Amino acid sequence: MLVLVALRNLSRNRRRTALSVLVIAFGTAGVLLTLGFVRYSFAGLSGAIIQGGLGHLEIAPRADTEQAAGLMDRSGIPPGLDDWRTLRDVVEGRAGVLAAGAAIQFAGVATNGDRSGAVLGVGIEPDRVRRMGMTVKVRSGNRLPDTPPAAGDDRVLLGLGLARTLDAAPGDVIVLMGATADGTLNALDLTVAGVFTSGFQDLDARLVQVHVATAGRLLATDKASSLIVTLNDTNTTAQVAADLEQAVSGFPVPLSVVDWETRAPFYRQVRGLYVGVFLFLGSIIGVLVLLSISNTLLMSVLERVREFGTLLAIGTSRAQLAGLMVLEALWLAVLGSLVGGVITLALSVVINTLQIEMPPPPAAVDPITLSLLIRPSDFLWMALFMATLLVLAAVPPMLRVLRLQVVEALGHV
Amino acid sequence: MISSPLSAPAPVVNGPLLEAVSLSRVYRRGHESVEALRDVTLSIGAGEFVVLAGPSGSGKSTLLNLMGGLDRPDTGDVRFAGRSIGHAPEGERIALRRHQLGFIFQAFNLVPVLSAFENVEYGLWLAGMPRAERRERVERALESVGLGGRMSHRPDHLSGGERQRVALARALVHAPRAVLADEPTASLDSGTGAAIVSLLVELNRTQGTTFLVATHDAAIADRAPRVVRLADGRIIADERRRA
Repeated sequence: MLVLVALRNLSRNRRRTALSVLVIAFGTAGVLLTLGFVRYSFAGLSGAIIQGGLGHLEIAPRADTEQAAGLMDRSGIPPGLDDWRTLRDVVEGRAGVLAAGAAIQFAGVATNGDRSGAVLGVGIEPDRVRRMGMTVKVRSGNRLPDTPPAAGDDRVLLGLGLARTLDAAPGDVIVLMGATADGTLNALDLTVAGVFTSGFQDLDARLVQVHVATAGRLLATDKASSLIVTLNDTNTTAQVAADLEQAVSGFPVPLSVVDWETRAPFYRQVRGLYVGVFLFLGSIIGVLVLLSISNTLLMSVLERVREFGTLLAIGTSRAQLAGLMVLEALWLAVLGSLVGGVITLALSVVINTLQIEMPPPPAAVDPITLSLLIRPSDFLWMALFMATLLVLAAVPPMLRVLRLQVVEALGHV
Repeated sequence: MISSPLSAPAPVVNGPLLEAVSLSRVYRRGHESVEALRDVTLSIGAGEFVVLAGPSGSGKSTLLNLMGGLDRPDTGDVRFAGRSIGHAPEGERIALRRHQLGFIFQAFNLVPVLSAFENVEYGLWLAGMPRAERRERVERALESVGLGGRMSHRPDHLSGGERQRVALARALVHAPRAVLADEPTASLDSGTGAAIVSLLVELNRTQGTTFLVATHDAAIADRAPRVVRLADGRIIADERRRA
């Protein structure tokens, strides 16, 4: 019966109740929309990292992994992964693996005769890269050919910034120099197949991509730096990593399996920053809702002191009256969450449909599309959060009710 | 649910149902204090209809509140069916009010968001009565006060007299041993007030419910078999007459 009384009490002052419901609704929508944007940003960033070349997992000689500073760049380490084709076949046979491809990382210098620049290079298997679902954003020219190029027919993709530095365009020939595994300087003439972007200005200023066969020729090696692995589902990364650890344990060279988050520590930093911003914003919204609703409930108690006196007089316990306040707060939470959910749904549909373009983030090349990634469970969690918040908001009015003296309350005007 | 010896039907006692023993009550606000009751002793038997009469500030409502377990005396005690309630724990006093007593207030004090039916039903819900039994008793109570056709109306759609009848039904629906009424006719016109008084007297006569009524209304006092007059917090007369 108290549930009914609590619900009916909300209809006493409809304007005030409507205002409270709107405060909760906009608080709910604010938090959910922010959460949706933050989650979309995480998904976009992780997608950019994984599909941008890092893959979900990297398998490399353990010694190389331990040497590699920052774990992303092993260009200073001579390739040490022998018999990588056998390893690739083993890996691709495991459950959850989409595809795998070899990578040879190297450092060197690119020059067109007039200008030169230091480069970070990576040798890839273009057909595998495509099967792995990775994206190479070619801005002009063509992708690298799938088939290993014959000697003298080597091609290169230049990063956007590097192409500008070298004043190179598709069809031009540049010279790429690098150190072989035994320390000898080697150089290859390469035809510029195209100009691409990694999405990051700093990387684009130094990055080149070549076929793994070209990289092998430059470094005079059959070995690869590592095997890049992509999975069917990012959520299975840890599980597949553990499986692959076991699968490759029999190889002559001790191998390590490293996930993309470990190789891209900046992802965790960005995530931490976003989570911090989200929590800060959520806390502000939470405090505003808490204070606003607490004040509303307190006002509602002050207007009903005499009624509470009557309820106490006819045998209602103070605990029941306190429960009534909690129930009123919970009803507000239910109504506010429902309205907030509808507002969130409507706004997210509109925003996702409009495909609003935002300026590129710092150091990024491409603008990003404003999009929201909201899960159905978010609505439930948000409703629970609001319910908890509103129970807290009910504490001051509850304390007021608990302190009421029956006779004084009955005489209250 | 609050349970105590006072939740159970009051045992049949040979002595008085309600007793005030040397009751004193002082109200303090800041440095000021008002002696509302001074050493009042009063004994009310089961089935009696007693009116507390006296001018404003004489202590009628204070005495009523103390005897109904709504307030605690500074000195002295209140006994219900021989059991001390003046200084009993809160739980026992709630159980007493919930199960053994009924209250009627000057301003009706109905819950505005509940219908007449729900206002009367509320006390039975507090007592933990099953829904079907509640329905039956509420309907009977409202019919007994002439509101069988107004059960679904909310208080703001009822006249003053109808509201007081709902309050009366609420006070009586759980078959209390005693009903305490504070100025039950003060907010009503004389005709409606008289009708309410007739109803109280009738219920006292037919159901044997004990009534303790604080009032200025001479019409009630005239019809009461016993009138206790107070002045300055003291009983100055205890008049008994034949009905």
